[in-house]
Amino acid sequence: MNNFIEVKDLVKSFKDGSVVTSVLKGINLTVARGEFVAIMGRSGAGKSTLLYQISLLDEPTSGHVHINGEESHEMTEREKMFFRLSEFGYVFQDYALLPELTALENVALPLLMQGASHAAAEEKAAAALAQVGLAGRLSNLPSQLSGGEQQRVSISRAIAHKPAILFADEPTANLDRESSDRVIEIFKKLHADGQTIIMVTHEEEYAHAADRILKLDDGQILSDTRL
Amino acid sequence: MFSLLNIRVGFYLAFRQLRRASLWTTGLIVFVMLLTFLNLVVVTGVLVGLIDGINNSYRTQYTGDVILSALSTKEYIEDTPSVIAFVKTLPQTALLTERYQTGGTIEANYLTRSSSEKPNATSAQIIGIDPIAEDAFTGLGKRIIEGQYLGESDYDQILIGNFLLAKYAFGNQPSLTPLTNVDPGTKIRLTVNGVTREMIVKGVVKSKIALLATSVFVPASELRTIMGRTDQNVAEIAVRLTQGSDPDSFKNLLIASGIGEKAKVQTFTESIPNGVADIKKTFAMLGDGFSSIGLVVAAITIFIVIFINAITRRKFIGILKGIGISGEAIEISYIFQSLFYAIIGSGIGLVVLYSLLVPGLAAHPIDFPFSDGILVAPLDGTFIRIGLLVLTTVIAGYLPSRMIVRRNTLDSILGRN
Repeated sequence: MNNFIEVKDLVKSFKDGSVVTSVLKGINLTVARGEFVAIMGRSGAGKSTLLYQISLLDEPTSGHVHINGEESHEMTEREKMFFRLSEFGYVFQDYALLPELTALENVALPLLMQGASHAAAEEKAAAALAQVGLAGRLSNLPSQLSGGEQQRVSISRAIAHKPAILFADEPTANLDRESSDRVIEIFKKLHADGQTIIMVTHEEEYAHAADRILKLDDGQILSDTRL
Repeated sequence: MFSLLNIRVGFYLAFRQLRRASLWTTGLIVFVMLLTFLNLVVVTGVLVGLIDGINNSYRTQYTGDVILSALSTKEYIEDTPSVIAFVKTLPQTALLTERYQTGGTIEANYLTRSSSEKPNATSAQIIGIDPIAEDAFTGLGKRIIEGQYLGESDYDQILIGNFLLAKYAFGNQPSLTPLTNVDPGTKIRLTVNGVTREMIVKGVVKSKIALLATSVFVPASELRTIMGRTDQNVAEIAVRLTQGSDPDSFKNLLIASGIGEKAKVQTFTESIPNGVADIKKTFAMLGDGFSSIGLVVAAITIFIVIFINAITRRKFIGILKGIGISGEAIEISYIFQSLFYAIIGSGIGLVVLYSLLVPGLAAHPIDFPFSDGILVAPLDGTFIRIGLLVLTTVIAGYLPSRMIVRRNTLDSILGRN
């Protein structure tokens, strides 16, 4: 099956008392293996919300999300956790590193959870950090790293276990120009090596690093452009 | 839940969180655990120690390890000289002392009292002792707080227990009307079986054992005369055993040799009135009650500490779940942290308890009016309490972490309520 992710009639609403706000209004979408998809849109368009539904971090109000042929509705929490652990990699806007773990430990943790031995996990983690140019920062705590370096640690954590798909939510939003360019270069290289990537961004320039741009507005797909 | 993988990852997280936690915070939590541990052990230990203090005093100041007393049908131990001779031949016997005992009254100020005045008199236990043997056995001479101890050739002189004097009396004792205006050198009238003898108070004995504090000590030879006794049969023989000798075995040996037909043979524990053992049980229960409150307080403290820790780390817990770390592994990491606090707190508590408090209170007992209170903390009981503390702490640490871990992953990551 070529379509790794299939989204059908996806609706996500939030209820606050009697007020219901629809953020996603019937999204239909497929993502094939090896694609690099950028999701764009103005604030409140529903970009991040869409990413959370696809990446199994949240439950849609209605509609279907199929991951590798499996219906997300029918998955137990444990199965979702396993998917997130072994098939997905996440890069968050604010890096989301654990402050008391060094760069190496942050990257090694998911590998340990996958059952790797301590030595094997650290070896893989070190390799992943070297891949993003942080071979010399293994024992640094997040507080001892710059924002750009933290984001690269976050990318290492996301790719160390060779996930089927990498989700990135505004990965450059908190970074300066130089660091942002470096992160996008890493994504390009990963994509060139066959990594499937879905990235939310509001920066047109970085969106063009992808080979497909989805533009969202008011909870609906406005355009789906292949570059 | 407790799969090896979850435990491994939980430990990995806990170890690093603890290693890089603020020393002050960790120190404070460990200090709370230390205080809780001491509260658990010391409250009960002091209450029980209060009674054990009485028992110890009773043993050292009165009964020795084994005490032989008159059968209930007799006033004295039949054929005392041969009994003593036999006991002295036994290798376990280190020391012994023999005592006469009878009831009597003492009266003071009888010369100056008018016929309308109430007599300054009280009933008392009259104990006839060999002053030298008694002092060697019980150290009675060291407990003189006024005047002097009896000499070998003293005649018409007595020692008087402190509770028999109004100035030292403790509370109201039934059938006791402590004497007023009595000091060393005061003449008193001693009446035993209708025989009255005028004697001089040579010293005042202070003891926290009521039996001694309400007794009058008279040289044995003189009491024998007053009682009109011509034999050498005494009412009690207290025996101190050599170190390591077992009182029960010694008692059985005496009974097997026929002494039991002439005297009631009891170990010191058997000779302690039942009421004292009951009080000990009651105090132990009271102590356990107080300790339970301490345990609940510790549980609440740990619950709050872990809850605050988990709630402030809610975002990171969400991230952990988001990247696929199981909720169970995260919960186990908090269990490990709680275990760490409880074990380190208890460990320090053990050191403080057995290297400072127990020996310190043994050397300097708490001065209660009726006992020299020591701290009783048997190792088995202490380890049971540590077990309880650890169990309570683990539960108190697990519950809040579970509450936070069970929250929606995305809400945790985004800090949404």
